[in-house]
Formats: sequence, structure tokens, C-alpha cells
Amino acid sequence: MSGQSKKKPFKIEAYKHRVEVDPKYADRTWAVIEHAINEIYNHNASGLSFEELYRNAYNMVLYKFGERQYNGLVSTVTRHLRDMGKAIESAQGSFLDELNRKWSDHTKSMQMIRDVLMYMDRTYIPTNHKTPVYELGLNLWRDHIIHSAKIQTRLVDMLLEQIHRERMGEVINRGLMRSVTKMLTELGSSVYQEVFEKSFLDVSASFYSGESQQYIEVYNCSNYLRMAEKRINEEVERVSHYLDSKTEPKITAVVEKELVETHMHRLVHMENSGLIPMLVSNMYEDLNCMYNLFKRVPSGLNLIKDVMASHLKETGKQLVTDPDRLKDPVDFIQRLLDMREKYNEIITKSFHNDKAFQNALNASFEYFININNRSPEFISLFVDDALRKGVKGASDDDVDQVLDRVLVLFRYLQEKDVFEKYYKQHLAKRLLSAKSVSEEAERGMILKLKTECGYQFTSKLEGMFNDIKTSQDTMLGFYNSPYGNDMADMPAITVQILTTGSWPTQNINTCILPAEIVIVCEKFKAYYLGTHNGRRLTWQTNMGHADLKATFGKGQKHELNVSTYQMCVLMLFNSADRLTYREIEQATDIPGPDLKRCLQSLACVRGKNVLRKEPMSRDISEDDAFLFNDKFTSKLVKVKIGTVVAQKETEPEKMETRQRVEEDRKPQIEAAIVRVMKSRRVLDHNSIVTEVTNQLQARFLPNPVVIKKRIESLIEREFLERDKADRRLYRYMA
Amino acid sequence: MRRSSNRKSSSASAAAGSGSTKAASKEFEKIDHLFNVYADKSSAIIDPEGIEQLCSSLEVDYTDVRILMLAWKMKAQKQGFFTLEEWRTGLKALRADSMSKLKKALPELVKEVSRPTDFLDFYSYAFRYCLTEDKQKCIDIESACQLLSLVLGTQFGPQVEKFTEYLKSQSEYKVMNMDQWMGFYRFCNEIPFPSLENYDSDLAWPLILDNFVEWFRENQN
Repeated sequence: MSGQSKKKPFKIEAYKHRVEVDPKYADRTWAVIEHAINEIYNHNASGLSFEELYRNAYNMVLYKFGERQYNGLVSTVTRHLRDMGKAIESAQGSFLDELNRKWSDHTKSMQMIRDVLMYMDRTYIPTNHKTPVYELGLNLWRDHIIHSAKIQTRLVDMLLEQIHRERMGEVINRGLMRSVTKMLTELGSSVYQEVFEKSFLDVSASFYSGESQQYIEVYNCSNYLRMAEKRINEEVERVSHYLDSKTEPKITAVVEKELVETHMHRLVHMENSGLIPMLVSNMYEDLNCMYNLFKRVPSGLNLIKDVMASHLKETGKQLVTDPDRLKDPVDFIQRLLDMREKYNEIITKSFHNDKAFQNALNASFEYFININNRSPEFISLFVDDALRKGVKGASDDDVDQVLDRVLVLFRYLQEKDVFEKYYKQHLAKRLLSAKSVSEEAERGMILKLKTECGYQFTSKLEGMFNDIKTSQDTMLGFYNSPYGNDMADMPAITVQILTTGSWPTQNINTCILPAEIVIVCEKFKAYYLGTHNGRRLTWQTNMGHADLKATFGKGQKHELNVSTYQMCVLMLFNSADRLTYREIEQATDIPGPDLKRCLQSLACVRGKNVLRKEPMSRDISEDDAFLFNDKFTSKLVKVKIGTVVAQKETEPEKMETRQRVEEDRKPQIEAAIVRVMKSRRVLDHNSIVTEVTNQLQARFLPNPVVIKKRIESLIEREFLERDKADRRLYRYMA
Repeated sequence: MRRSSNRKSSSASAAAGSGSTKAASKEFEKIDHLFNVYADKSSAIIDPEGIEQLCSSLEVDYTDVRILMLAWKMKAQKQGFFTLEEWRTGLKALRADSMSKLKKALPELVKEVSRPTDFLDFYSYAFRYCLTEDKQKCIDIESACQLLSLVLGTQFGPQVEKFTEYLKSQSEYKVMNMDQWMGFYRFCNEIPFPSLENYDSDLAWPLILDNFVEWFRENQN
């Protein structure tokens, strides 16, 4: 072997381990696995050895036959799926059932197959960016079963049909539904949405659209609302039982839109059963139902709120402009209070105390209460009535509650200064005639007003109370003093001294008092001015009252409780039996209108006619004559003769009060203007108007024209000037 | 020259009765002479009668606006009277020391007054000139109307006509004050008439103008 032959270089070769170079190895091994797959699909897995299969699959990958194995897997599974597909397609009654069962089989099979091919799943597949085994199984199912034209349509139709049946009241197999939808979800959320959910939502929309059209014609509002509520709840329940949870908001949105949003306006405005009748009849539950439903749709609540508000405004406006209502102020306010209570209840019970609704309620009240410019006066009269008579059958706390509610109405007033004027007048009358039911209630009311409006508002009112108290002390002092000591034969006098600034301004009318009275008055005056130097007393003869002992024809004695004016008139009859109007006028010097009212109450009122009039007409004319009525009788020993006077103001009095209020406002406006300009120095017209309005709105709403006038007056008096450079500005002159 | 005149002035002042230098009194000699033609002999002031004469010399009606302009030039304080000081001021400014020169100066004066800045001054002067009493701040509506026509009639005829018509028809305002007077002039300048398109009553226009605009708009329909 040796010789001159070439020597081969020594080569080191790579280790080529090809244990088995058997080309049929891959085929054989794959056949085993393929067979196993078939058996698995034929429910014959029990006879297989997991260990052997795993090893084979492992080897396939090891010997670089991974691709062969993978492709083989795809085609085998596909083959089986085709068969399954045919079976499903030909299913008669139980399509969904068949589908579900096949799915179950497939998934179980895939699990087993994955376990067998685990090694490939972990090595070959990631390296070569192939779809993992189980997922591959799902995708194949999706592509060959679900997306198969025949199956997909039928599948969706079946699902929807079942749902429709259930909506119409039938019982269906929810478990099956659940399995099917779960299958779709597992195949991927886009599969679920594309294949099922979209159609589901569309079909539902047209279903509910149809239903709503039908019911809206037939049902009244409450019934419709309850139906809608029921349907929504149903859908929520449906989703929880057999649909994917992500569908819930979508389906509820559909139902809300079709049942509620589309017919929102029609429901609210439905005659005899819509929102307004519900409000009127306090149908708390139905209102609550409506609120809950409408909350779900955009601007649903706004619709309810706006309709409620405009209804309130309408009703309120009617109430405050109804001439009949205006005849009884106390009733008027009571109705307003009742109305407010009613809507408060509704908002609490049915509208979850929604703040927006509260605000709408307040805004509406503020709107119509200020339409009637007598509201401030009426509120004061209501309080006056309550404090005079007490609230029927109420305890202190109840009275307090009533006053609190009245205060709510007070807050709505734009012209609070008008209220103040009237309250003062009425309080004065109450204090002077000692007509308050409870001083505590009076003080309580003032405290409430003080908390609401500040000290300035109530300081004068408190001054009035103080005057009454002080007067009581003064009277004690008087009777204990030398002035008042020896008054045995004289009429007993009680004086109330009023500080001019605190009490409502009265025109000073003095009349001629009877002689006996004058003596007593002078005594008191002397006493008072003796202890209070530098003060001036003026007798207010238009207030005050007197008790007279009268003896009539048959000797009957009565005690008459009369006003000061009436006393002056009656005392004249001590020295004359008959007097003409003119004689009385001259003797007493009582102003005309007061005198007429006074005489009317003494001569023309049944049961109180201590005087007789010639002629017997109802009205007093200046040619009348009056006689002492001998024949006067009364069951009561003490007879109270009130003056014929209206509690409400007469027209001229009203004008006067309003004028005084306007006059009072001028200095307040000017003070506000000066305050604003002092701090801002230079300002344009609109800003001044805004700032001044802000400052004053707690008391009243100033008229911009009046503000302008006041500014011009201040310019004339050189408190302000126009800016020389920019004539739109005003400048404060220090 | 000055020194000598100074010395002379100390003796001359008592004689002249005013504190001016001899040179100055020479300057004013002709002016003073003219003054004395119209002045009242006892009061040494030109009174209404004197003014009337002056007017006829000037060939100008005494209600003519040019007399008012003359008064303005003189910075005359009291309506109907010209003092010597005022006379001197006015005529010196006009460079007139004789009647003929004065007559010639009048058209110049009118032109001068129509210049915007001067006119404003003249306009407010016209109002103050009418305040005859010491503490008086307003003039009655009747006089105000006349004054408006006189002073603004040529420049803003239509506005003046309508405004005076309004003033005469209403009864809320019985007098007009300086602020309203000046406001009207601003109104004529800034607001197109008769459209009144950019008038905004929310701005700082005097209330009387707000009411005028409202009245005008109502009466247009």
C-alpha cells in the first residue's frame, strides 16, 4: 500500500452525527404522530402512549424535521376541521348544540396535541416565529369553521334568534348561549365583535326602535317609563348571564337611545301623564323612575329640569298676578310656602336632592316672586299675622319653622329694603297695640333677619323694642314721682315714648284733646322733661287708644275701648246730645279722612254704634249730624270699637311708601358710587354700574338709569369728574 | 431808554391810574381812546348800551356770534360788560387799535375760533359767560337753546335743531349744566347724525343725551 502514492493531508472533519440517515425516518415518525392526532379527534386517545408520542415529536424537532411536523399538524387539523364543519353544517335542529360540542371536542383535542408537541412549541416555533400550537388550533377553527360562509351566517342568525325569543318572553338555553359566545371571545375580541356583537347591537337597535314606536302610542308616561326600566334591567342581566361583559355599556347605550332619548320630549310633554301632571299629583315614584332613566341619556336631566322650571315659573306667575289671590296677603304667602314645600319634597324624594334642580327651583321662585311688587309687603303681613295670632296649633318650634320657611321666601326678594319698611310699620303697630303673641317669637324673627342681612338691617327694629321696655320703666318712675302721685281722680295714663329715628316716620297730626286728658298729659310731660333735659315730646294722637266708661239710656254701663280720635269725638257728647260733622271737626281738629273713618266706625257698624247718624246712610258726608245712641246695647260689657281701616295699604299710601323707598335709595346709591370710586380712582361707566349693583344687591336692585343720574349729581357737586383724556372714564376727586 | 421810563413811570403812575409803563400806555393809547368812545363816563366800563353802540359801529348785530367771539378774545368775565383791561387784552391780541382795523380783524377771528382746539375753549367759555350769578352752575333751557343755535348752529345745524326741539318738548330738565353742555359738543363730534349708529347709552354719556337719543329714535318711526 505504500510506495510513491500521494500522501493525503490529515483532515479533521466536523462531527457529522447522523445517527440514522434513514430518509424514511421523518415519514415514519410523522405517521405515528399523525395517527395519534386522528385517534385523538376520534375520541380514541386512551390507547395512546403519551411518553412515546412526546419522544417522537421531540425527535422530529431534534432531527430538524420541525417544519415537516408543523406543516403536517396544520394539514391534519385542517382535515379534521373540514369534517367537523360538514357535520355542523348538516345539523338540523340543534345547530348551536352541534357547534358547541364540536368546539368542545376540538379544544380538548388541541390541548392534548399541544401537550404532545410541547417541545416543538417551546423551541422550533418561537425560533421560527410560527404560531404556537394551541393558538394555531384556534385560528384554524376560526378560519375554517367560523368564517365558513355557511356556518357564520347561520351561527349569527341562530344566536340572534334566541335572543329575540328571550326578549319576547320565552325561556332559552342560556348555558348554550354562554358557551358559544365564550367561544367567540376566546377566538379573539375582534372575532366576537365582528361576527356577533355588531349585528347584535344593530338588531337590538331596530328591535327597540320598533318597540318604542309601538308603546309610545299606547302607553301613558309612567307605564312607558317602567317598561323602559324593565328592558334596560333585562339587558344588563342578559349580558351578565351569557354575553361578554364589555357588551354591557354598548347594549345599554342602544336601549337608552331607542327607548328613552328618541322619545324624551314626547314623554315629558305627554298630555295628562307627562312630567307636569306627575309634578302636580306628587307622583314621587314615577318621577324618580323618570329621573333615573333620563340620567342615562345626554341632556335628559336638563330637559326635566327646564320643563319643571318653566312650569314653576308659569304657575308662580299666575299665582302672583291673580287679582283674587291678592285680596288676602296671608293666604297668598301661605300658597307660596306650600308650593315651595311641595317642590322641595319632590326634589328630595324623587330627584335625589340634585343641586341643579334645587337651583332651578330657587331661580324660578326668584323670578316670579319679584313680578309682583307687593310681595315684600305681603311677606311682612304674613309674618305680622303669625306674630299676632300665632300659627294655628303650633308650638314654639313650629312657629320657628314657619318663620324659617318665610325667610326662604324673603331671600328671593330683590327689593329687601321695601320689606324692611313694611316690617317696621307692622312691627310698630304690633308693639304699640301690644298685639304680639310672643315676645320670644318677635325677637327670634329679628335675630333671623339680623343673621340674614346684617346688623344695620335690624338695629332700628331693636331700638323699637328698647323703647317699649324703657317706657315701662318710665311709667313706674312717673307714678312714683310727685308728678304722678296724686292722680286719684284723674284718668290713668300710660305713655309709650318712641325715639324718632327708630320708628316709621309719621306725619305729625295733633288734634285737640279733651280737657281732662290734657291735664294728665301735661303732668307727664313735665315729669319727663324734668328728668330728660333737652328732649322734645310730641303727642302722636293718631296712634294710642283709650278705655271709656259709658252709661246708656236704660242705665247699662259698658266699657268702650276706642282709639284716641274716637275718644276725642265721644267726649264731646258729654256736653251735647247732638253735634254736626262740622262742629265735631272744629272741636277736635282731627284731619278729614281720619275723622270720617272714625265717625264711620262709631256710627255705622252694627253692634258698635254708640252714636247715631242723621241720615242713616253708610257713608259720612260733611252735612251729617251725630247723636248719642241711648238705645245702644251689647251682650259684652267691654266693647272694642276698632277703626274702619284696612290692614293693607290704600293706593295713595302705597304710592307714598314706594316714593319714600325710592328717596331712601338715592343716598345709598351715591354712597356706593363714592365707595367704589374712592378705591378705584378711575373707572368707566359700565364698571361702576356693575360694582354698585354688586354692593347693593343684598338690599335692592338699583336701576342703571338712576345710577347714572346719581353720578351726574355727584359730578355737579364736584365729587367726581370726567377724565380729561378719555371722556368715557370718571375720576374720583379727592 | 428803560431807566428813564422807569423813573417817569413812578410819577406817571399816579396820573395814569393804572400800573402800566409810559411806553405801555403809549402802546395802548389808541386802544384806550377807542375804549373811551364806548365806555360809560362814570363807571369807566363799557356797559350793555356801550356794547350796542360798538355793534352798530362794527356793523354787526349785537346778537351776532362774533360779539361773543370778541368777548372770548377779551376773556371778558361778565356778560354785557367790557372792562378796560379786557378791552386791552382783546384788541392787542387782534392787533387792532382803530375801528377799521377791528372790523377787518373780525373775519380773522372767526377763522381762528373755528380751529378745533380754540373752538373747544370758545364753546366752554360761551357757557360760563352766561352764568350771571356768583354761585350759578346752570343756565335755563330756553337760554341754553338760544346759545346752542348761536354757537353750534353753523357747524352742526341738524343736531342743534333736533336737540333744541327735544329740550323744548320735555319737562324733566329745567336747566342745563356744564357737563351736559360739553357732552353735547362731544356728541356732535363723535356720533354720526342722523343715524346715531354707534351711540351706546351704557357708556358715560350724560343722561340728558340718552333721553334725547331715545326721543329722537321714537319720533323717527
